[in-house]
Amino acid sequence: MIRAVMVGLCAGMLGLGQEAREILSRHCLACHGAAKMGNLDLRNVKSGDAVLEKVTHMVTTKAMPPGKKGLSESEIAAVANWVKAGAPGLGKELEAKSNWWSFQAVKRAAVPAGEGEAIDRFIREKWQQAGLRPVRKATKRELLRRVSYSLTGLPPSEQELAEFEQDGRPDAYARQVDRLLASPRYGERWGRHWLDVVRYADTGGFETDIYFPNAWRYRDYVIRSFNEDKSYKQFVQEQIAGDELFPTNLDLDGGFKIAPEKLAKLDASIATGMYTIGPVYHEAALFGGQVRYEWLTDAVDTTGEAFLGLTLGCSRCHNHKFDPLTQRDYHGMMAVFAASEEKEIPVVSRFATFGFKSGYPSWIRVEELKGAIQRIDQKARKRVVDLVRKRFTVEELAAYDVAVDKRTAEQRKTAARVEAAMTQAGLLENAEGKEADIPLTEAESQEREKLVVELGRAALKANPVAQTATVLGPAPVVPKVHLTHRGDWRSQGEEVGPAVPGVLARGQKIGAEEARRSALALWVGSEENPLTARVMVNRVWHWHFGKGIVATPNDFGRQGEEPTHPELLDWLAAEFMESGWSLKKLHRKILLSETYQLSSEASEANSKIDGNNRYLWRMNRQRLDAETLRDAVLAVSGELNLKMGGRPVVPRLSPEEYTVMWARNQWPESLDESEQARRSVYLYVKRAFPLPMFTTFDAPETSQSCSRRENTTVAPQALTLMNGDFMVKQAKVLAGKAGDVESLWRRVHGRQPTAAEKEKAGRIANREQLALVMLNTNEFLYVD
Amino acid sequence: MWTDCPKTVAAHSRRDFLLRSALGFGALAGNVMANPYARRSPHFEAKGKSVIFLFMHGGPSHIDTFDPKPELNRLHGQAIPKSFGKVDFQFSNMERTPLMGSPRKFKKRGQSGLEISDLFEHTAGHADDLAVIRSCHHDGFTHVTGQTWMNTGWSRVGRPSVGSWVVYGLGNESDNLPAYVVMLDGGIKAGAPAYGSGFLPAAYQGTVLRSEGPPILNIKRPEGISDREQEAMLSVLRDLNEAHRAPRADDTELAARMASYELAFKMQMSVPEVTELDRESEATKKLYGLDDPMTAEFGTQCLMARRLVEKGVRFVQLYSGGKKGAEVGWDGHNECDQNHEFMARKVDKPIAGLLADLKSRGMLESTVVLWGGDFGRTPFTDGAEGGGGNRNGRDHNPYGFTVWLAGGGVKGGQAIGTTDAIGLKAEADKVDMHDLHAGLLGLLGLDHKRLTYFFQGREFRLTDVGGEGNLLKRLRNG
Repeated sequence: MIRAVMVGLCAGMLGLGQEAREILSRHCLACHGAAKMGNLDLRNVKSGDAVLEKVTHMVTTKAMPPGKKGLSESEIAAVANWVKAGAPGLGKELEAKSNWWSFQAVKRAAVPAGEGEAIDRFIREKWQQAGLRPVRKATKRELLRRVSYSLTGLPPSEQELAEFEQDGRPDAYARQVDRLLASPRYGERWGRHWLDVVRYADTGGFETDIYFPNAWRYRDYVIRSFNEDKSYKQFVQEQIAGDELFPTNLDLDGGFKIAPEKLAKLDASIATGMYTIGPVYHEAALFGGQVRYEWLTDAVDTTGEAFLGLTLGCSRCHNHKFDPLTQRDYHGMMAVFAASEEKEIPVVSRFATFGFKSGYPSWIRVEELKGAIQRIDQKARKRVVDLVRKRFTVEELAAYDVAVDKRTAEQRKTAARVEAAMTQAGLLENAEGKEADIPLTEAESQEREKLVVELGRAALKANPVAQTATVLGPAPVVPKVHLTHRGDWRSQGEEVGPAVPGVLARGQKIGAEEARRSALALWVGSEENPLTARVMVNRVWHWHFGKGIVATPNDFGRQGEEPTHPELLDWLAAEFMESGWSLKKLHRKILLSETYQLSSEASEANSKIDGNNRYLWRMNRQRLDAETLRDAVLAVSGELNLKMGGRPVVPRLSPEEYTVMWARNQWPESLDESEQARRSVYLYVKRAFPLPMFTTFDAPETSQSCSRRENTTVAPQALTLMNGDFMVKQAKVLAGKAGDVESLWRRVHGRQPTAAEKEKAGRIANREQLALVMLNTNEFLYVD
Repeated sequence: MWTDCPKTVAAHSRRDFLLRSALGFGALAGNVMANPYARRSPHFEAKGKSVIFLFMHGGPSHIDTFDPKPELNRLHGQAIPKSFGKVDFQFSNMERTPLMGSPRKFKKRGQSGLEISDLFEHTAGHADDLAVIRSCHHDGFTHVTGQTWMNTGWSRVGRPSVGSWVVYGLGNESDNLPAYVVMLDGGIKAGAPAYGSGFLPAAYQGTVLRSEGPPILNIKRPEGISDREQEAMLSVLRDLNEAHRAPRADDTELAARMASYELAFKMQMSVPEVTELDRESEATKKLYGLDDPMTAEFGTQCLMARRLVEKGVRFVQLYSGGKKGAEVGWDGHNECDQNHEFMARKVDKPIAGLLADLKSRGMLESTVVLWGGDFGRTPFTDGAEGGGGNRNGRDHNPYGFTVWLAGGGVKGGQAIGTTDAIGLKAEADKVDMHDLHAGLLGLLGLDHKRLTYFFQGREFRLTDVGGEGNLLKRLRNG
C-alpha cells in the first residue's frame, strides 16, 4: 500500500514527460531507437511531428508493442497525454530498456518465514498458496540411487547402498552428497550436460564432416573444470576469452617442466576451443566469405543460448519480433568475434616441441616410402596410358593435351574420343564413378609388397607428432562486419562495430581497438549481468529435477516460459554469485533440500491441483538418458572402464549400422577392447553419423545448443535394448559375473529379489536371457 | 502468459496436446504406444493420404529428362550468351565453359503431349498422370545443401525432414509398422539428418529399411535366442514391469514403455512380412523389373514401398544412387549422358511399374508420388579443372530444375513453370522449396501455415516464411 502510494507520488513529481519517456524506453526504443525500425527513431521526434498521432493510434489499438498484450490502460493514457502535450523531453541520450523480468538485475528476495532451508521455504510457500501437501520423503535407497545418477550418472553399487542404509548418523545423506561431489565421475556427468549446451561434436558435419583433432581437449577441459569446481564466472570467461584474459607463454625459455600456473592458463586458452567445434560447412569454403559468416553466426548463437539463455538467432535476419533484440545487436556481437580466428597452439613446453622437430626425419622416411610405392603405381599407369595413346594420331593427342578450358570446339570433340578410350581402359572414372585397378608386373608387385612392409616398420618407429590445441586467437586482419539483408552473407549494409545487445548493455561499450572478446567475457561473466547466474542456476535445477524453474533453459526471453518460482530463482542466483559462483556449493544446497528428497509417489489430491508438478510437491520420475543408460549397463555388468580423457573412443558398430554411412573410412574403430567400455562422454561424436543407440534415446542433434533433451518412448528403443549387439554382449558379461538370480538382482537393482520375483525369474532358464530382461526393466531404466 | 495472444494459444495448445498424447495414457495400452503416431485429421479435405518420395541422389539433369531445350541444342558448343546472367556453381566458372546440348530425344507423350525424353521411356507412358514442375529452384549448389533443401526446406543441417512433418501432422495409419520409412541405396551424402526429425520429437524421424540383412536396425532376434525363448523373456519382463508399476499407477510413461515392447515385437513380426516379396505374383514382380538384374534393386524398393503404403505407412522415401548403387549416383560430372543412361535404366521401369501398380489397385488416388533429387544439372559442360572435368559432364544446378508429382489428387499431363531457353535458371511460375513443400502438404490436407512446432522461442514451419505461391491449386486443377 505504502509502496503504491510512493510510486504514484513519484510519477506525479517526475511529471508527464518523465513517465512517457520511461514507457517509451521500455517498450519502444529497442526497435524505434537506434535500430530505426520502420524508419522511425523516436528520439528524433519533435513536437508537432505527424508521426506522433500515429504513435497514439498504434498503442491505443494495441498494434504496438508487438506480440504481447500491449501497454496497460494507464500507460496508454500516459502516452496519449504526452503526445497531446507536444511530446516533451525525448532526446538522443535515451536508451532502450526492457520491463522483461529476466532483464532486470537479480534481486535477492526475502526468504519466506518458517523453518528449514531457504529453498524449502520458497517451495513451501507455493504449496500453501495452492493447497498442496508434499508426499512422503524418499527412502534411503531411492535417495541414494537418485543422487548418484544426479551427480555422477552412474548407479550406486550394492555395497554403497548397504552402507548408506546402515549409516544412522544424522548427516549420513550429506556425507553421500559430498562423496559423490568429490568423485571424478561428477565432472564426467556434468561435463556431458554442458557439452549439450555448447553443441559439442568431434566433426564438422555436412558431406565432408571434417575431423576436429583437438575437440577432445575442450571436452576434457570441461570435465576438469567441473571436477575442480572452477568458479562458473571464470568458466564462462575462459570460454569466451581465456586466451586474452589469461595469456601464457608456456615455456619460451626452454625447460622441461611447465609451471602449474602456466598450465592453468593454457587450460584457459583451450576453453576457447568451444568456438572451434561448431558445424563447418566445408564445401562453402569455395565461396570465401561464407565459411567465415557461418562461423560468426554460430559463435553469436551459441554465446547467446549457452551463457545468456537468449535465442539471438532470430535477430540474425531481422529485429527480434518478441524480444528487444535488434539486427544491429546481433551484428554487434558478430563484430566482437570478427577480431578472432581459429589457431593451433602447442600444449607442451618449448623443450618438448624441439623434441618433435628433432624426430621429424623419421616422418620423411615414411613419406619417402609412400612416394616409392606411388611411383610404382604411376609407372604401371603410364604403361596403360601409352598403350591407349598409341591408338591415336599426333593431332588427336595434341587436342587432348590442350588444357580443358582452352580447347576449341573441335579439339573438345577429338579429346572426348581419347577420354572415352581412357575411361574404357579404367584410367578415368566411368559412368558409375569407378576406376579399374591397373595391373602390375610380377616384379613390380613384389617390390611393392616389400615397400609396404617397410612402410609399416618405418611408421612404427616414427616419432610422435607435435601436440597442439585448437583455440581462438587474434585475427591479424580484422574484417569489417556489415548488416546483412535477411541473413544473406553476400549482402552488405551499414558497418557495425563490436557491441553487446543494447537493451542489456548498462553502459558497456566495446571499442574496436580493445580486446573485444575480453570485454564481452567480462560483461557476460559479471555479477551485474542479469542473465548469466540466473540461467546457470536454472540449468542446474533443470538437470536435477528434470524441469527448470524456467522450463525453457535456453530461452529467458518473452517466448520462453516464465519462472514458476521467480523469488527462489533470484535467491539461488544471488547465493550462487556470493559463493564465488561455486557449482558444488549450489548442488549441495539443492540436494540437501527437503524438496529434492521427496519421493516420486503419486497423490491424487495434489494431481487435481497441479498435475504437472509445477510446484514440486513430489520428485519427477526420470528415464535414464542415452549416455547414462549405456554407462549404467556397463557399470552393472562390471565392464565399465573408468579411464578418463583423451582422443575420442570410436565405438564398434554392427554391420547393419555401417551400411548407411557415407564415408566409412571416417569411422576408425577403437581396436583396444577395453576402450569400448569407456564412459559415453568419451565416445566419438560424429555430426554426420550420430551413434544409432544414442539417437534412439534422444541424444541431442549437434547443430545447435540443446538445453533440454526430448524424452520419447518408442518401439525402436525396445528393439535396441532387447536385440542390439551392445546389450546382448553386456547381458552375457553380467550373467557371467552374477552367479545366481539373487546376485543378478543385487547387481542390477542393488537389492535382493522378492519371492514373487524369484518365481518370475524362474521362468527363464538361461541366465544370459534373464540378465537381458533385467536390463530392460522399468526399475532399471527409471529413477524414482 | 499466452492467453492474450490468440495465435500463440492455438499453437501452444496443439503442442501441448501432442506432448500429452505422446506421453499420455488412456485405457488401452495399444493406443498409448500408437500415440505419437495416432491418426490425426488433416486441416482440410484432400485425396492424398500417403507419400512415396523417389529421390535421385546426386542430382538428375532436368534438361536431359523432363525439360526439353531445343535452343540449347542449337547453341551447342558455344559460350553462354551474356543475356542469361551469371550465377555461382560448385566447380565451374560458367564464363569459361561451353554449352552442351542434350543428346536425348524428347517426344510428346500421352494425350497431354507432355514432353519427356527417352531416358524415361517407361515412365513416359504415365505422362498423363504426371504434373512436371520445371521451374524449381533453391540456392544449395553442393550435395548436402541440395539434399537438405529438398528434404527439410532449409540449407543448413538440423531442421526436421518433410516426412517427419507429415507424420507429426497426420500420424500413422499402421499400428505395427513405422510411420516413416526410408530405403537407402547405401549411404547418402547428407546422412541421417536428411530423414531426421530435427527439433521435432525423435519419434518422427525416418526409420531406415535396409536392403541387406535385417531390414530394420535391431529388428532381428539376437542369435541364440529362439522365438519361444524371446516370448518367455517378454512375458517375464511384462510381469516384472507390472509389479513395478502397481505402486506407480499414475505414471503413464511406465505403461507407455511397456506398450512399446508390445509394438516392437509386433514390428518384429510384421516388418519381415512386408519385406518378403514372395507373395507377389510373377506378373507384378515383372512389372517392377524384378526379373532383370539392372532394375531388380530399385524395383524391389518400389514394390516394397507400395506394400508399405498399402499397410498404412504414411511416408516412404526411396533413394537411387546412394553409396552402394554407384560411386557417383546421378552426379554426372563426367560423361553425364552415359551416367544418366545407366542410372535411368535402373529406375525407369520400376517407377513406371510402381505408377501402374498403384493405379490398378486404386491406390494412386490416395498416394502422392514425388520424384526429384538434390538439384538439376548445368546446360554447360562441367568446368572442373584438374580433376578430369569437362568430359561431357554437367555440374550441379540448383537455379533451375525439375521435380514431378503424380497421384493424390494431382492433375496429370501438365507442365508447371519454365526455365530459361537453355535451362539455366527457373523463369516463369518459379517454385522454390517452400512452395513445393506447401503444395505437397496441401495434397495431404495439411495447411503449411498451421503445421507448426514451437521451438527456440518461436513457431517453426516446414515452409519457414514462404510457401505463399498457388502451387497447390495448380497441382490440383492444372
